[in-house]
Amino acid sequence: MSFRGLFIAVMLSTAMIVSAFVLQSKRPRIETDRPSADLVKATGKCADCHRHETSAVVHEFEMSLHSRKGVTCLDCHQPTKGQEPYDHKGFTITRKLTSSNCRSCHEKQVDEYMRSRHAAPAWAAVTGKADFTPEQIAFSEAIHKGAVDRPPHPLTAVEGLAAVNKGCRQCHDVGKPNPDGSIGSCTACHARHVASVELARLPETCGQCHMGPDHSQLEIYHESKHGVLFNAQRSGMNLSARPEKLSTEDMPVPTCATCHMSGLEGEKFTHDVTERLSYFLFASVSDRRPTYEAGRRNMKAICLKCHTNPKIQEFYGSAEGVVRSTNKLVKEADEIIAGLRKDNLLTPEPFDEPIEYIHFDLWHYGGRTAKHGAYMGGADFVQWHGYYEIVNKMAELKKSAEEIRARASKGEAAPKAAASSDPSARPGGAADASGASK
Amino acid sequence: MHPALPSKGWLGRPQFWVELFAIGNIGFLAVDVGVAHAINDFEDPAEYIPVVFSLACAPALVLAMLLGGLEPAPRGRFPFDRPRWRSGVAWAVGMLVGWGSLSVGVAGLVFHLKGDFFEQMTLKNLVYTAPFAAPLAYAGLGLLVILNRMVNARSREWALWIVVLAAGGWAGNFVLSTADHAQNGFYYSSEWASVVASAIGFGFLCGVLVAPDDRRLRTLVVAIMLTEILVGVLGFGLHVYANIVRPTSTLWSSFLYGAPAFAPLLFADLGILGLLGLWALTVNRPESPTAIPRSGE
Repeated sequence: MSFRGLFIAVMLSTAMIVSAFVLQSKRPRIETDRPSADLVKATGKCADCHRHETSAVVHEFEMSLHSRKGVTCLDCHQPTKGQEPYDHKGFTITRKLTSSNCRSCHEKQVDEYMRSRHAAPAWAAVTGKADFTPEQIAFSEAIHKGAVDRPPHPLTAVEGLAAVNKGCRQCHDVGKPNPDGSIGSCTACHARHVASVELARLPETCGQCHMGPDHSQLEIYHESKHGVLFNAQRSGMNLSARPEKLSTEDMPVPTCATCHMSGLEGEKFTHDVTERLSYFLFASVSDRRPTYEAGRRNMKAICLKCHTNPKIQEFYGSAEGVVRSTNKLVKEADEIIAGLRKDNLLTPEPFDEPIEYIHFDLWHYGGRTAKHGAYMGGADFVQWHGYYEIVNKMAELKKSAEEIRARASKGEAAPKAAASSDPSARPGGAADASGASK
Repeated sequence: MHPALPSKGWLGRPQFWVELFAIGNIGFLAVDVGVAHAINDFEDPAEYIPVVFSLACAPALVLAMLLGGLEPAPRGRFPFDRPRWRSGVAWAVGMLVGWGSLSVGVAGLVFHLKGDFFEQMTLKNLVYTAPFAAPLAYAGLGLLVILNRMVNARSREWALWIVVLAAGGWAGNFVLSTADHAQNGFYYSSEWASVVASAIGFGFLCGVLVAPDDRRLRTLVVAIMLTEILVGVLGFGLHVYANIVRPTSTLWSSFLYGAPAFAPLLFADLGILGLLGLWALTVNRPESPTAIPRSGE
């Protein structure tokens, strides 16, 4: 064999092989890093492509219990009844998942959620009953009378589409009816792809919506001893414990989910967040719920994991005192407004006169905050963000009512809030909400 | 010329097989390119051109074979046993197909490179762009068809050009298998086998070009080409298996979006062309005794 031919053959072959190895080694990690064989099996090969596009989705899924249990992307993205099938690279999937997709495995949880105020009542609170089927309305009204068969919230007309789309709906989407006939999406609390029970147990998850002046639960929680202890001890807790097996050893300090949903040490866990409630705290005047006794009993069973019965009784007694006291103040404000309306000194339209905003703030901000503060151990919110705001607004309300009556006696018109009759022409109306989904 | 060659029939001479190789490959490219462009849903009408070209040219070459004889001949070397016009028409059809195939290949290369790669010449775009080396298959086959009609198939030069074209095919195969498997991130380490195999195919055929009369080297390369055929068949099996076990909605979509089933057969294909080239080198000995190297023979 001639050395010349062999030399050329070996040199060229080697040079090519080495160059291929070198090129591959120089490529960025995102291109060459492959999902594990198990993950590819679990994702139905979706990870093959999605590692390059939307890589975070794959990483989120890798962290999930779904992935560890061998649930595939296709299992969740399989179109269910009423969902539009979408052909994607040889797979028939649905792009937008709803609670209906989760229901195939988590039927009990979805059914419980459907009975909660997180379902239809959440969406109807903004847009009224317009988006629901008669069956959905009947189902929800049987549980939450008047919560769905209602008109849209009057503020949506005043504030306009831009505010509604990027504001109200972002939270109230949790109960939005879907085209497939289902309601809401579990991802609101569990997040997409990671489908995390740990995430749903974090106060910040509930606090995405339950915060701010109208229902400051997150702020109240962080002020409370529960919140302080949780923030100090969080690193030592097992927030991803199975709901059926969650114990005070896993979470010696409660978060929102612990008190309202979790199956702590043998107690039944639920996705109906109303099961442990006794009062309609969100209402202007808070009445007892029809399930008052059961609600108290269910919640106290959880309280008993950490507190003695006398302490719980005392806590509930003082909190109910706040509800009664707040109700009294709000009723007084309601009577002032009702008196003005009776005397034709206010128009029937809501939110077109300044005094209506004062009245709304009084119960919607101050009133709710005082009551929530009382039930969640937030002293500052009972006092300064609660009662102080109520009495402050009450003084303003009374003064404003006197002025209206005084002007009326002189034959002057009451001052009106600037509002156009054309909703789309108002600031934040359709013209400003361009590009937003309707 | 090999003394025994004239006495052998067309079945015993490499040129007929090389022409058959070209016809078969041009024809089969219709299926291969059809599947490849179906992934793209034939978004650009130009994507139909290679499919239509293949479907038209393979029968045209068969027709030329029937008209001009089983072995194409350059002008001036037309066979005496048939009318000259028939050989002329066959030659013209062959040259037309050859140049057409060459044009389709080069145009395809330009079209494929028109994608992201030229906008941003990054390694990523090189890996994820349309396989720019793939259309060169047409160029190679076009050159093969033209070669059969420009150079005397019983000459040493013709044999060397066959080896050159086979080596070129292996170079393309190296680029394609490296880029394709890089796209897959070399998920299985076995995917490196095709890169190594195509590099060896190219390197050793180049070795033969440098020392064409080295019989031992040629024997070694024959063994390598036979191994390459096995690699191709094994790769075909692995690609098909991967597609069958793939959880997709239909088997067709699995093959459409999955591993390219026919791609590994290019190894077997080029192994055959390499073997034809080596055969031609063996039978088309150097005319001048001085050209025959003494050592290694």
